[in-house]
Amino acid sequence: MKVLLVEDNERVTQFVIKGLQEAGHTADHAANGRDGMFLAASEPYDVIVMDRMLPGDIDGLAIIEALRKSGKRTPILILSALAEVDERIRGLRAGGDDYLTKPFAFGELLARLDALTRRAQGESAQTRLEVADLRVDLLTRKVTRGNRAIVLQPREFKLLEYLMRHADQVVTRTMLLENVWDYHFDPQTNVVDVHISKLRQKIDADFERPLLRTVRNAGYSLTSHD
Amino acid sequence: MRFPRSSALTLAAGYIALGLAALALFAAPLWYAWRVTIQDGRYEILQSDALRLAEVFRREGAPGLVSYMNNRVGMQIAGERLLLLTDTAKKPLAGNMDAWPANVPENPGSYIIKMPMAGHLEDVALVHASLPGGYQLLVGRDIARYTPLQQRFWYALASAVCILSVLGTLGGILIRRALMNRIHGIRQTVSAIIQGDLSHRLETQRQGDELNTLSQTINSMLDQIEQLIQGVRNVSNSIAHDLRTPLTELRSRLEELSLTKPDGAHTFAEIDAAVTDVDRVIGIFNALLRLAEIDSGMRRSGFVPVDMAELAADAVDFYQPAAEIRNTGLELASDGSAPVRGDPVLLAQALGNLIDNALKYTPADSTITVAVRRLSNQSVEVAVADRGPGIPDTEKPKAVERFYRGDLSRGTPGVGLGLSLVDAVARLHGSELKLEDNRPGLRARMVLSQDNVKIVRSTRPTNEEEEKYHHEPVYP
Repeated sequence: MKVLLVEDNERVTQFVIKGLQEAGHTADHAANGRDGMFLAASEPYDVIVMDRMLPGDIDGLAIIEALRKSGKRTPILILSALAEVDERIRGLRAGGDDYLTKPFAFGELLARLDALTRRAQGESAQTRLEVADLRVDLLTRKVTRGNRAIVLQPREFKLLEYLMRHADQVVTRTMLLENVWDYHFDPQTNVVDVHISKLRQKIDADFERPLLRTVRNAGYSLTSHD
Repeated sequence: MRFPRSSALTLAAGYIALGLAALALFAAPLWYAWRVTIQDGRYEILQSDALRLAEVFRREGAPGLVSYMNNRVGMQIAGERLLLLTDTAKKPLAGNMDAWPANVPENPGSYIIKMPMAGHLEDVALVHASLPGGYQLLVGRDIARYTPLQQRFWYALASAVCILSVLGTLGGILIRRALMNRIHGIRQTVSAIIQGDLSHRLETQRQGDELNTLSQTINSMLDQIEQLIQGVRNVSNSIAHDLRTPLTELRSRLEELSLTKPDGAHTFAEIDAAVTDVDRVIGIFNALLRLAEIDSGMRRSGFVPVDMAELAADAVDFYQPAAEIRNTGLELASDGSAPVRGDPVLLAQALGNLIDNALKYTPADSTITVAVRRLSNQSVEVAVADRGPGIPDTEKPKAVERFYRGDLSRGTPGVGLGLSLVDAVARLHGSELKLEDNRPGLRARMVLSQDNVKIVRSTRPTNEEEEKYHHEPVYP
């Protein structure tokens, strides 16, 4: 994917761009609001990573608002040190699609960017999800793997649905907390891991090929690839 | 000598000026009445006297008047009256004056002139009338006898002015001194506070004046400030204490890495551990920022209707697997919906923290109960009860303090902010976290209401208390 990073801190820029390139993506960079505005408006990007506090007279939110007003629908992830809930709400209201606070783990950023670009491609109309031989019917809420039906609790179903919608991507614990349980805090104990291992028991335990994998230092991924 | 500008003196001067103005306003009509009734009345008497004499002249002619006047002078009826009748050449014909006074104007009319009376000059009121045939008539009266009265009036007025000024000045000085004493006291206290000793308070009486009320207001402001500063001091002490450990670990890890230059695999393991250390520091920061955000009360504007029963069901559902692998039960006890007004994100976090806490300390094969109960139409009780070691009564008030934890919780992911966050959330919602004995175990309880606008102020311990319990192993 093609990413625009609007960020004034050199260290963060270097870290993010290097990481994106290693993950096989291309990234452009703007160090101030004016350049960011220009690039975002003129070039086609899959996703934009926007810092909020930028040097010069244009800040991140102003760019986002201007882009949205001019009809640009490019998904935008706001990357900011402003962590208060109100700031987060303001960022999302301005037209941001996701909000990540500094300091952040690169794995978290990458996973969220993947999720954003996937969302932008639009697959909400789907009623059936498939990863390898694992099938989920969203209408009847039936889950099967191979020929065998799997019985899931409602919450397990929601967890699996989210993982399947983001198949072949890395999904972090925070993303699961926010999207499956709607929890916006760190529950301290490893509850998410326990939920995952319970789900894994049901969908992977009796099968030769595990689908739900743990990605070190990042999160989980439901994938048919090796 | 230069007088300092003083509000009391300005006030006194203002009052004196006002008093003088009132006195002048009081004296003016008096003076006017004096003029009209005494002075003008005097002329009236003289004029009617002159008229009567003229009438005698008209009836009986000059000889008649002469004999009438001589008769009158002889009778001494009006001893104080000056009478004189002269012919055209101003030669006296009758009366008790020896000669026509030189300073009487030629034209008939009423005058006040100076005349020698019994040896010295006195003020005399005169009516000068011309009679037919060139006869001149003078009717006068010595008004010196009124002078003392007039003088007394002026003296009285002057002394009133003096008394007013002196008393006013004295009063001003006294008020100023009293005021300055009070203000001096306030200034001394405030100076001490500026120097950094926040324990000073202004003197107040049980029943007092406006200054007393002001002092009380300032005192309660100082209480608030002291509490805030104490809070900040405690928190910064605790931050220093709790961040120092992971930062020290991090620093030594990195330094050791730089010194020993181990092989690749070992290096990466160390770097990962360092990232974990940093994450711990970030975790503490985030928790503190969240607490500060809650304490500021700003979140109250975003309150919406929340069903606590639903929130609790979700939380139990979320933590259930974690309870299962610990072999403990996690049960929800609720009877239908439990509506409150609040911040769903924070309430969920508070519930999560309570359950998380209970999971950490309750023994295996016991059960944690999350109970949501409607107490009335207006309030809902939320309680999380475990079978752990509980908290001793003496420690309970301190258990909600920031970084309140001991050896028992060292090494667990928490940073000692869990319960204080719950308490902060409860306070934001107009409630309070109550820690009760579950016999055995801990029952953490809060009562939330639909109408929770009142603000519950948190009570923070003093620094010494904080020091005292900080090192004791406590729960959690």
